[in-house]
Parts: sequence; structure tokens; C-alpha cells
Amino acid sequence: MFLSVVGPGIITANADNDVGGVLTYSQAGAQFGYSLLWLLIPVTLALVVTQEMCARMGVVTGKGLADLIRENFGVKVTFWVLLLFVICDLGNTATEFAGIASVAPIFGGFIGIANAGLCKTVLVVACAILVFFVVTRANRDVVERIFFVLCTVYLSYVVSAVIVHPDWKDVGHQMLFPHFASSKAYVLMIIAIIGTTISPWMQFYIQAAIVEKGVRESQYGASRVDVISGALVTDIIAFFIVVSCAATIYVHNVALPAGHQIQVNDVSDVAVALQPLAGRFAALLFAIGLLNAALFTASILPLSTAYYVCEAFGFERGIDRRLGDAKVFYALYLSFIVIGAGVVIVPNAPLLGIIFYSQVLNGVLLPVVLVLMLLLINNKRLMGTWTNGVAFNVIAWTTVVIVSVLTAISTAQLVFPQIGS
Amino acid sequence: MAFRDGYLSELIGRQAVLDGPGDVAVGKVVDVYVGKPDDTFPRIDGIVMSTRGGQMQSPIHDVIDVDRAGTIVLRIPPTERPLPDDRALFLVKDLFDKQIVDVDGRKLVRINDIEIANTGGTLRVVAAEIGVAGLLRRLGARRLAPGLLDRVPRTLIAWDNVAPISDLNPSQVRLSVSESRLSRLHPSELAEIIGDLSAKDAARIVGSLDDETAADAFEHLEADVQQSIIADLGEERAADIIEEMDADDAADLLGELDEVQRAALLAKIEDRAYADELEDLVEYEPDSAGGLMTTDYVWIYPHRTTAATIAKIRELAPESEFIYYLYVTDDRRKLLGTISLRTLLLALPTAFIHKLMDSDLVSVAADTSAEDVASTIARYDLLAVPVLDDDGRMLGIVTVDDAIDAIIPEKIAHSLPRFVRHHGRRPSTGSG
Repeated sequence: MFLSVVGPGIITANADNDVGGVLTYSQAGAQFGYSLLWLLIPVTLALVVTQEMCARMGVVTGKGLADLIRENFGVKVTFWVLLLFVICDLGNTATEFAGIASVAPIFGGFIGIANAGLCKTVLVVACAILVFFVVTRANRDVVERIFFVLCTVYLSYVVSAVIVHPDWKDVGHQMLFPHFASSKAYVLMIIAIIGTTISPWMQFYIQAAIVEKGVRESQYGASRVDVISGALVTDIIAFFIVVSCAATIYVHNVALPAGHQIQVNDVSDVAVALQPLAGRFAALLFAIGLLNAALFTASILPLSTAYYVCEAFGFERGIDRRLGDAKVFYALYLSFIVIGAGVVIVPNAPLLGIIFYSQVLNGVLLPVVLVLMLLLINNKRLMGTWTNGVAFNVIAWTTVVIVSVLTAISTAQLVFPQIGS
Repeated sequence: MAFRDGYLSELIGRQAVLDGPGDVAVGKVVDVYVGKPDDTFPRIDGIVMSTRGGQMQSPIHDVIDVDRAGTIVLRIPPTERPLPDDRALFLVKDLFDKQIVDVDGRKLVRINDIEIANTGGTLRVVAAEIGVAGLLRRLGARRLAPGLLDRVPRTLIAWDNVAPISDLNPSQVRLSVSESRLSRLHPSELAEIIGDLSAKDAARIVGSLDDETAADAFEHLEADVQQSIIADLGEERAADIIEEMDADDAADLLGELDEVQRAALLAKIEDRAYADELEDLVEYEPDSAGGLMTTDYVWIYPHRTTAATIAKIRELAPESEFIYYLYVTDDRRKLLGTISLRTLLLALPTAFIHKLMDSDLVSVAADTSAEDVASTIARYDLLAVPVLDDDGRMLGIVTVDDAIDAIIPEKIAHSLPRFVRHHGRRPSTGSG
């Protein structure tokens, strides 16, 4: 019984540790050491609550999130909200391809091709084609298994974090005692971490996955375990990424004068965190992990987006439909891949910037999707006896308020640069 | 009434005023309702307004004009007399943004707008708009980009082909519309649509169909969808539907359930002999001859004349699914030979069956695999093959369509039509 409903939560967890996730956590550790670790506890709580809400809505209503938004809030709200999410997801797709582009020179170097631009273009285009092929042609179960196996690359962060002997006492202290700095970079980093961990698109994805599995109310217990353990896995990995980057890059930099510090100017710079484990192969290990993460998410994110847009507006959808029957669906899907991959092969595209600010945008839009979810899940006509309990409402609304306040602060800092700088 | 043909979205939001000096404002139009959505082009029977005193309604004969300077003019003030949900279909509340089945196009779509025509002073619902034009209109394209709307092609579904399904505000009226219109679909098309619905919608739609239509659609549904619908329908109704299904399909369905559930369903089947038959069928492996076979075949005695046999078949055949081959057996059901309907029809009325029958028996055992059954049928160009036990007695037959279903990949199977339309489900029909 458990196996028949398990899956959506675990898959979503893996999709969550995508390029944006790995790099945001890496940067958090590299720039701020352990001082952002405390954030992982409330973020995990909020992640569990949001994912569980979506899963529950999927089980009880049997409908996707976009479906519910359209039926309950009408055309106008649906249109503008989804427009924002589509833009955001375009950024997220570009993020995945930016991850691919940024590890391309590592692979190139390994096989002796020095031209970074060439490596980048070839790998990105190859991956875009591969993603399209995998999604439309390949056997999904097999593909999912391959991704799962490759996801064990993340365990190297766990090993690396242990080998390097971080100051566990400091780690524990920073976990339990929140530290808040008002600097612009710190606030933006908090928004990015929240945004990459609880990205709006994943709420659509997990609900769709639950609906597709056809989980029934009587099976919901098992499904809840799946969803919650998925969320925990996501954040445990996040924890070790932050720790290993903090213990290598940040600690290293603190001890050195400005000129000799490791600069995180490029995505591959954070591969240093894996050196304690992999030595000179650290960069390669990192590149394989990131490539896997990018491919996995790039193969479900554009699909999920095309799906929910078509769901909301009543177009034929799904990869089991023929091209001629589901034109809008395939057009959306293809343009996501083409634009996402196209943006990053522009020479000198600011890869790290694309990645980081996409995660910030995720964070900024999170309150929008959360408010809609809260209105839906507390609607008795839809949910019957399955509406939110008090604790869930408190946690979710608190998340909405906190992220909104942070966004306001960060916007204020943008307009009045003197604040907190 | 000075309303030219137009769209519901253009009426919604209009100011309602009382006829008389100064046109006193009453409220804003939020919905309209029809009392007989079953009609080909149902009449709009009233409007719903949001006023200071809450939602109020006016029947259509109290509405003098729906388009006087962009307002709706009422003869007398509206009353607070909400119609119960099951007496009327509210076009905005029940249909705007909701999914419907396009019976003509055989797919699920979403309603963006509703076209209304003014036929000699009566406003009638004509069609549902499901395309981009409807979306743009609702988003306010008329104001923002007036030229744009005329250039976008409209996608309309004639009202007669609209079958509402959405599960908010369940309404009796709406379900009856769905029922009559959905039963126009081919069972396999209906099954495909049911498979795309949420579990609750699916159960409600199946619940609204008559037993026979539901059973036909059920035979084409995937096992997991069948199970979830059965759980929602309740045992009583599920048993009624199973009773109308072909024996082999019913047995497949029962085989997927756990023992408690299966026993409960079997207990509710009224035809006890049929229930026993099903119980036996369930025991076989689903991809073996036993799992594929149906017990619904016609058996005849060898010592009868063709005339007597044909008379008997005429009496029995309407009950039976498959009559193209007749199986000649002794009184212990041991298979002696087969005879095709063609041979029977062409033979002299006085000829005896045992002289005509083909006694070169091609048969399979209950545990023969689906592939072997299919290749036997293919090798001998059969429409069906008998399944025999160790003593040569008939257990059932596997028809060519069930054999094909069993060996081709599921996806292709969905889009294939059935060769033989199934209606009956009776166990073997004898002439003895």
C-alpha cells in the first residue's frame, strides 16, 4: 500500500535540490559561513506545511492547483498570477541550463578541450535535445531510477562535511540561535534560500503528481509520510551543502588577507567544498552532481509549467497527446526549453546572476501562491473536513508575512541603497 | 429587448436599474440562470443581482430591457428568493471557468464564455466559448484592444453538445443534462473522458449514467480508475454495474479488488448463478485463457436439425454476446465439435447438426498464456477459441478482441474500437 502512493514527495525533494538549490546553499555557506544555518529550521517547517497542503488538496479535490485557482478565482486572477509564475519558471529553467553551461568547461578541461565557449554551447544544446528526448520518448520509470541513483552524488557533501571537521559546536550554536544581519546581501540571501527551497512551481508539481497517482483519502497517511520525508531529505542535504561550503571556503577566506581569498565569481568555484573528499577530482564530482540535478529538473519543470498553464486555460495537455491535438502545450514546452537554453549560451551571460536572481524571484512570488493555497485549503466547500488546522494556518500565514516583509525590506534597499549597507 | 446577440460576460457586471424617473440603481448583475438546461437552446429564466441587501433575483418577465444605455431595466424590485441549486443551472456559478465535456469533440474543455442569442425578444443560451477569444474577452480585451478580438478565431460548442461535470454545487438539473448527452458518446470515448476526470467527478458522472451505459464505459476503464470509482459509488450501485458488464471484464475488475471487497460486491449481485460464475472466473490468472475467457457462449446439441437449432438461437441470441460460432456439446458439456453461423444458415433446414459440425477441435486450456491464445486464434483465423478442462469439457471461450486486447500494449488498446459491441453478459446459453 505504501509503495503505491509513495513517490511524488521524494521526486519533488530531488527536484528541489536543483541547480538553484545547490548553488544558493553553496553561496550561503561560502559568503556567510554558518550564520544562515538557523534559517533551515523554519524553512523546513514551512516547506513541510506547504507541500503537505498541496498534497492534501490533490487528494481531496482530485484536481491540480491551477485547476482550483481557475475555478475559484476566475479568469483574471488566474491569468495574472500564472503570468508571473511563467516568467519565474522561465528563470528557473534558464537556471538549470545555466548550471549546465557553468560546469561545461570542467568536463571540457577533463577531456582536453580548452575553448570554454564551445564546451558551453555544445553541452547546453546537447542537454536541451536530451531533455526533450527523455521527456517525450523515454520510459519514465527507467529515467526516474537513473536520476535517483545519480542523486546519491549529494551524499558526497555529507562525507565532505564530515571529513573536513567543521566546528560542530559552532554549527549547533548557529542552528539554534538565529542571527539577523540587515545587510542587503544577507536579506537577499534569505529570500533566495526560502525561494529555492519552497519554489512556487513545486507546489503545482507535487499536487499534479499526487492527482496523477490517484491517491485516495484513505491512503493519505502514507502519502503524507512520503511528502514530509521528501521535505526533510531536501533540507538535510541543504544543511550539509551549507556546512561543507562554510567549512572550506568561508573558513579559509576568513584566515586570509583580501587578495588571497577564494572568490566565488563562477559557479565552479564552490566545487572547492568537495575537495576534502575528492581532492583534485572535486570539480569533476561537483560537475556530475550539478549536471544530474540540472537535467532532472530541466526535464520536469518546463513540462510541469506547460501542463498547469494548459490546465488553467483548458487546452489539451500531456505528453500522451499527439502534437496536433495539443499544440499550445507543446509550443509552451518547447519554447521554455529553447528560451531557457538560448539565454545561457549568449556569450558572457551572467550565469551566477541568472541563477541567484531566479531564486530571489521564487521567494518574492512565494507569498502569492501561498495566499491562494491558503484561501483554497480553508474553503469548506472544496475541502470538507480536510481544511487546515490552526497550527498549519499559523505557520503558513507567518511564512507569507515574513517573506513579504523581507521582500519589502529588500526592495527598499534597492530604492534607497543607504539602508543596511 | 434591445440586446443583440452577444456574450454572457458582457451582461455580467451591468448595473440593474428600476424603470421609472431617474432609473434608481438596484445592484449589479452577477449571474443568470436557466430552468431547463436540457433544451437545445434553453431560455434564460432570470438574473441574479448583488445588491445592498445581499443577492436578489428577478425572473426574466420582470426584466424590461437588458441593454438600455448599458443597464438592465427591471419592472419591479428584485426579490430575495434564491432558487434551490437543483432547480436551475446558474451559468456563472456552475459553468464559468469550469470543465465540461464537449460531446461533439469528445474531450474535456473549459468554458471561457457563453454565447447568448436574442430570438424574437427571448434570450437563449446558444453555445459555450472555449477558445482564446473568450479568454481575451473576459480579460477585458474589448476595452484594452478593441480590434484584437475580431481577429482571433472563436471556438464555440453548440449548447446541445455541452455536458457539465464540475463538482462544486452539485445540481440535479446539471447531472441530468450530462447524463443524456454523455450517453451519446461511444463507451470507449466516454471511458477516456472519465479517466481524465478527478476521482470524485468520475464517480459522480458514472453515478448519473444508467447501469448499462456505465457498464459499457467501465469495460474500457483502467483497473485503478475502476477501483477508485467503485469505492466512491458504494457497493449497491457498483454491483448493479458489474452485473451489466461482460463476464470476463467483470471478473478482471473483481480480480483487482481485495477479498473482503470482492466478497461484499459478489454478495450484492442479484443473479446468484452469475455471481458464482464470476467467482470461478476470478480464480484464473488475468493473462491466461481462463482470465480472458467469457462464459457467455452458445452451446447446442448434436442430434437437432438446423431448423430447430436456428429457432432456438433466435430465442436465445439477443441475450448473448457472441453467436458466430456455436459449440456442439453432450449433456455434460463435453465439446464434440463447432459450427459457424454461416454453415448453419446455408445448410438445409432438415440437416442434422452432427453431420455439419467441424469435429477437428482447436482449443486451449485454462492456463494457456494470452500470447499462445492469440497466436492460436491467428493461426486458424478464428473469431473465438474454446477453453476446455482436462476432460474436454467447455469452460468458456476467448474471443478475438479480448485476445488482442491482452497482447497489445495498453496505450494502443485505448484507441482501438471493439470489433464486437458487447451488451449481454449472460452465462452460457444452451439449447437443450
